[in-house]
Amino acid sequence: MNPRPKRPCRAARERLPLRYYGALGPREDADLGRHLEGCAACRLEWERLRAGLDAAAPGTLFPRESEVDWPRFARDAVARARAAEAAGRPGSAADAARPLLARLFPVPVRVALLAATGLAAAMMMLTPRPGPQPGPSLEGMLESAHVIQDRLARRGAERYLTDGRALLVNLVGPAEPCRRADGQFDVTLEKEKSRQLLRRKNLYEGELDTLEDQRLATLMRQLEAVLMQVTSLDDCASARQIHDLREQIEARQILLRIDLVTRELRQGRADVV
Amino acid sequence: MEADDFALMERVQAGGAGAFETLVERYQRRLYRLACGYLHDHEDALDAVQETFVRLYLARASYRPNAHPFTWVSRILANHCIDQIRRRRARPEAPLPEAWEERPDASATAPRSPDETPEARQERRELRSRLQGAIDALPRRQREIFMLRHFGEMRLEEIAASLGCALGTVKSSLHRAASAIRDRLERADAAQPAPGKEAS
Repeated sequence: MNPRPKRPCRAARERLPLRYYGALGPREDADLGRHLEGCAACRLEWERLRAGLDAAAPGTLFPRESEVDWPRFARDAVARARAAEAAGRPGSAADAARPLLARLFPVPVRVALLAATGLAAAMMMLTPRPGPQPGPSLEGMLESAHVIQDRLARRGAERYLTDGRALLVNLVGPAEPCRRADGQFDVTLEKEKSRQLLRRKNLYEGELDTLEDQRLATLMRQLEAVLMQVTSLDDCASARQIHDLREQIEARQILLRIDLVTRELRQGRADVV
Repeated sequence: MEADDFALMERVQAGGAGAFETLVERYQRRLYRLACGYLHDHEDALDAVQETFVRLYLARASYRPNAHPFTWVSRILANHCIDQIRRRRARPEAPLPEAWEERPDASATAPRSPDETPEARQERRELRSRLQGAIDALPRRQREIFMLRHFGEMRLEEIAASLGCALGTVKSSLHRAASAIRDRLERADAAQPAPGKEAS
């Protein structure tokens, strides 16, 4: 028979799950331990609770957890998140109707740009000048706008080419083996990324026409052709399909040419700055 | 929970090299268990976790360190799972428990080791089914609190913050949930026919 009064037992039993989950402070835990030593009924209650919760171990409830290749799952999750961000930035379908400046820069950057422009204008007006200064001409303003648009278009092209190159590097590198029996290489992720890049390219196209850079336009067309080929692959591509794709990339020296062009684009930007 | 989760999340926000990868590796299994608890389906749970990481990454700038990163991420997951469940209900499909029963996964019935007897395998399957039933039978709030603690390994204070309820509510709900699961398992054990006897 339990000599202890009922009330401490009730309080002790309410704390048993907290003890199981390590949510009691050291003093509370010690107090409860002492109570359990002296109370057979509560001790039995503790054992029953522990057995029940131990039975609900993840290994019992989720036996398929051990089947998952977690390092690969993490890699896929990271790639998917980055691709989603890239797709959500300038070039996403939702952005199509927005002006170029809005598409290329997120809201905080645009706000900062506007603020900087306003500040610069205010500084110019407030700065004392030695004599009467003519205001900026319409031609000058249009020229500045053209320079900005050209720079933004080049930046868009550079990013499109850089992302495309990274995708092609993945494809020419060691391929991810496919789990299914009907193919050899898993290109699901590459296919999805290619689709996203093509969507972006379509949106840039109009802007990039203003560049009047034939070499850049040709390279972008070639990259587009390869990306379209990637999207047409099976999720589990055959060794033959991958081999053909690699040959095409190598024959056209696409990686090297993207490298050179993007370097020049970056250099051009640095020169302007 | 690892103490440097806040610092890690800060690095993710700042675009630190490898930070997002580390965060994914750290949280993915706990999130998977939580997602299984909500969705009862292995593939759907994996999809939900992937989707959660995508949402986390896209919304990382909006995270504020007044909540633990896992608390924040688990809310993203919970919202996604609840949306999924609503969508399932909108479709003419079997209700969740039946759908769960109709899709027994291979590994639950496959031998865990070469030495495992068919009887032991069957027992393991039954235990899993009883546990699932016990968890499903909990009231919604108790079930959520139990899952966040048992599968999500969240601290009670974080659960309270995540669900917007008092710490005392979390404690009492956890107590009731644990007791209910234990009672249900014991009742199921008692109802099992003893060897050589027919069930009444």
